[in-house]
Amino acid sequence: MADILGRVVATEHRPNTPHEFHFWTALDAPVGIGTIVRVEGTDAIAGHVPQVHGVVVEGFSYSDLATPLHDVLGADGLPGRAGASPTRRTEIRLYKAAVLRHVPDEPLQPVALGNVFLATEADVEVALRMDAYLRPGASTGIPIGLYRAGATASPIHLDADFLMGPEAAHLNITGVSGLATKTSAVEWLLASIFAHFPQAKGRVAALCFNVKGPDLCFLDQPASRLDAADLELYAKLGVPAEPFAHVEYFAPYTARGYALSTLRSHEALVHNVRPLTWGLREVLQYAEVLLNKDDVDAKADALIDFIRERVVDQDFRDERLGTQHRVMSFTDLERWFSDVLRSMEERNQEVWRTHHIATIRKVRNRLTNISTRCRGLVTDDGTVSDLPWGAFADRGVYVVDVANVEEDAQDLIFARVVTQLRERMEKRTLGVDHVVVFVDELNKYAPSDGPDTYVRKMLLDVAERGRYLGLVLFAAQQFRSQVHRRVVGNSGTALYGRMDVDELATPGYATLAQATRVKLSTLNKGELMVRHPHFAQPVFVHFPRPAVLSGREGVERFPAAAEPGLEEAIVRALRPLDRSISLDWVKEAIALADEEEVLRARNRTLQVRPDDVKAFFRAQLKRRVAPETVAPRARPAIRTSPGDDPYAF
Amino acid sequence: MAESYGGPRNGASAEAAVRLLAQLTGHGSGATAATLTPLEVLERGADQPARLAPAAPLEGASIVRRPVAGSPDVRFTAFLDGIQRSLVLPQPRPTVPVVHGTVGAVIRERADRALRTWGGDHVLDRALYLPVARVEAAWVDAMRAAGFGIEDTSAASADAVHPAEHLSAARDAVQRRREAIEAALAGRWCAEGRGALYVDGGIAALGDAARGATVVGVVKSHRTAYVDGPSLEVVAALPPGDRTTAFVVESRRRAHVASWYLRLREGDGADPFSGIVRLEVAAGAFSPAHADDVSRWVLAEREPVALPDARWRVMAYGIRDCEAYLRAVAFRHG
Repeated sequence: MADILGRVVATEHRPNTPHEFHFWTALDAPVGIGTIVRVEGTDAIAGHVPQVHGVVVEGFSYSDLATPLHDVLGADGLPGRAGASPTRRTEIRLYKAAVLRHVPDEPLQPVALGNVFLATEADVEVALRMDAYLRPGASTGIPIGLYRAGATASPIHLDADFLMGPEAAHLNITGVSGLATKTSAVEWLLASIFAHFPQAKGRVAALCFNVKGPDLCFLDQPASRLDAADLELYAKLGVPAEPFAHVEYFAPYTARGYALSTLRSHEALVHNVRPLTWGLREVLQYAEVLLNKDDVDAKADALIDFIRERVVDQDFRDERLGTQHRVMSFTDLERWFSDVLRSMEERNQEVWRTHHIATIRKVRNRLTNISTRCRGLVTDDGTVSDLPWGAFADRGVYVVDVANVEEDAQDLIFARVVTQLRERMEKRTLGVDHVVVFVDELNKYAPSDGPDTYVRKMLLDVAERGRYLGLVLFAAQQFRSQVHRRVVGNSGTALYGRMDVDELATPGYATLAQATRVKLSTLNKGELMVRHPHFAQPVFVHFPRPAVLSGREGVERFPAAAEPGLEEAIVRALRPLDRSISLDWVKEAIALADEEEVLRARNRTLQVRPDDVKAFFRAQLKRRVAPETVAPRARPAIRTSPGDDPYAF
Repeated sequence: MAESYGGPRNGASAEAAVRLLAQLTGHGSGATAATLTPLEVLERGADQPARLAPAAPLEGASIVRRPVAGSPDVRFTAFLDGIQRSLVLPQPRPTVPVVHGTVGAVIRERADRALRTWGGDHVLDRALYLPVARVEAAWVDAMRAAGFGIEDTSAASADAVHPAEHLSAARDAVQRRREAIEAALAGRWCAEGRGALYVDGGIAALGDAARGATVVGVVKSHRTAYVDGPSLEVVAALPPGDRTTAFVVESRRRAHVASWYLRLREGDGADPFSGIVRLEVAAGAFSPAHADDVSRWVLAEREPVALPDARWRVMAYGIRDCEAYLRAVAFRHG
């Protein structure tokens, strides 16, 4: 028989209800905000003595004093004297608990005046309804952390059906920046998902957008420090304390184009870092991401549609144009625009194929400008280096590093990557059955106010319809109140790290008890409050440090390489494909080529990844004939005219 | 008769008694135990006339002020108090009243500055007090059958004609019952030799316990003042911390005790006894030095102040704790 922790009390002024009750405990009872307790009923109903599980949401303490002034008077205004009295005043510890579950569920009655016990591991399972999805052999539980109270240490599981779909899906994480809560929690949870996601539910992968600093740049490197407590948590929760086995990184080039725009540029780590570059075809579909409403009116939109459907990637012939066009790149598109406009000017026409010349000029200006605005991501020549669409690996992590990318390019990357994910998940051609998309700084990308951007619409679409596709959004932000309510509202599971008190004062947290809010504002690293559809009330858990190298430590151990010169950049890019490539070889190979041509050859080589890297790279460079020294031909001797030639001069 | 919950404990509750009488007499008054006013409240102050009863001094020839040397000394290890409630039950023949009496007592032991119930529990006793000979025999039988203890007050009110005499007899019987359980509890405490016991009220009725050297009675009310007129001025003028000469309080049926007045706090300016208690110890254990020691023990209990109780100037917090405890447990079932 477990020790009795407390006793339920109720008065007319403070009655118990079916969803809330009060109990008192000894002064030294191991109870606090978030503690889960079990109440044993007193009278059998329909043959069953009811049990009620609850979680402590508020605590009270008071003495038999009617007013604090009495204590002051009694001690003659000397606080030390009050504490030295031979008898301590009668004091009460009274707690308010929110009901987690009634067993049996019906009839739903106010909580009886029974004894209160600290919940055991089995009680916690019942209280949080985890017993419904932790059935041996058919478990869909994903460990999120360890609930601790007194001697109880109970693993808390999320239901994969409600975390990854199709029942609910999506996860939202809130917490102040700088405490490593949000990123750490996602890294931990992804590891937990990869370890526990049921085989029967298929293959799963994660695509993470690294939006700031080096946060997600070292997911394949082991953590520098996991103490015994962390390892105990990993063991208790059944998750290997190891970095992710399969991680691929993608980043656009810098504006200069020599190196990838990522902090993961240390030579030891570049083997799984790939360029992310797109050409005209990839970008044109998302032109509206980069063009605001002033740019794209109905007329401009019609012309863009025309270009997309009738011009790009096909032979285009028009009797009024000087030449036949095949537009494959931004360079080709610029030639096409020039030809169209020249033709109209020559003929003094204002309209070409129903499109006014002003519209054509405007669209030309906006479209051809994209490759400048998104330099490093968008290539003029149409070279494409993309994520492995259709070949996502089970338990693979794909990190798209947009931390140092211009805002326009970031938007374009978000829009295209997520749209591709959605389309391929619809067609079941991604390579996995479920994919987690992690986006940090959600209040920037899906704000509650501000313009209705394409990125926000796309995130809303994922939040509202993704679960049917297996496309799951894990989103994080510092201020949940500033995120679009449909995005957070569609998140079946929510995690809260340490919160800002001003944020906690916003209406979205009004349903939490004051003590719970205060606890949220003082949570330590490694502690979370979890909301999940199966849990009637939020529950506090501990989770271990991620088993991967943190961004801050990663950049110290693997400092980013400085942006190289052209030759060095080519060496760095090609050496992972062929270790024999040296600086001297590159210098010799590109000696006669201009910079643009060299970069194009590098991009093409990285895209094709040929067996013979050197030969392929050389082949991409224009052939140049080496100058030859030509010896002057000997002049034939001038013949003298015959003396008897009558026509000679 | 089963109670609604909790079950009968040392007799049935006043609530059950009200229901039983209504059932027996067919007379439903609509009253409940909670709506009835205890006799102790109705007759407060009328039970004992104020009087002076000069007692023989034990130190010197007259009652004088005696400063108590030394600092307050925490020596009490427990506090004893009792509680009583007498409710007149509504019935169609109120000239022969039926009184439900509840008495209880508890010792709250102090350990590590916290008070807990000594012996694991309090003592509680409930019974019906009535002149059995004047009540229908069928009712008395029904009361016994329902689990009520019956205390016959016939002997004390054999010649009574006024209903108040019956009530007085019943109330006296309830008080004797309370004193009896307090005496039993104090006796157990002393038998175990567990240290100094602070008793609320006099100790003369505690029987053998009243002869123990470590039992100290602290009397807060002074309807009987054991001094003459001039000495009353000495008592009223005591400064805080000082005591009077000790004197002996004698009783025909009770133990003789040594007693003296001690001022705990400044008075309120209206009541000459405000802030003053009268201490009682066993006469056989008395010595002037012991009186000073006990005075220091009692002075140490001035803190924490027993506020918000109105008697805070003369009440020890331990006694307030006993009362709060007994109120919580004695009447919770009606």
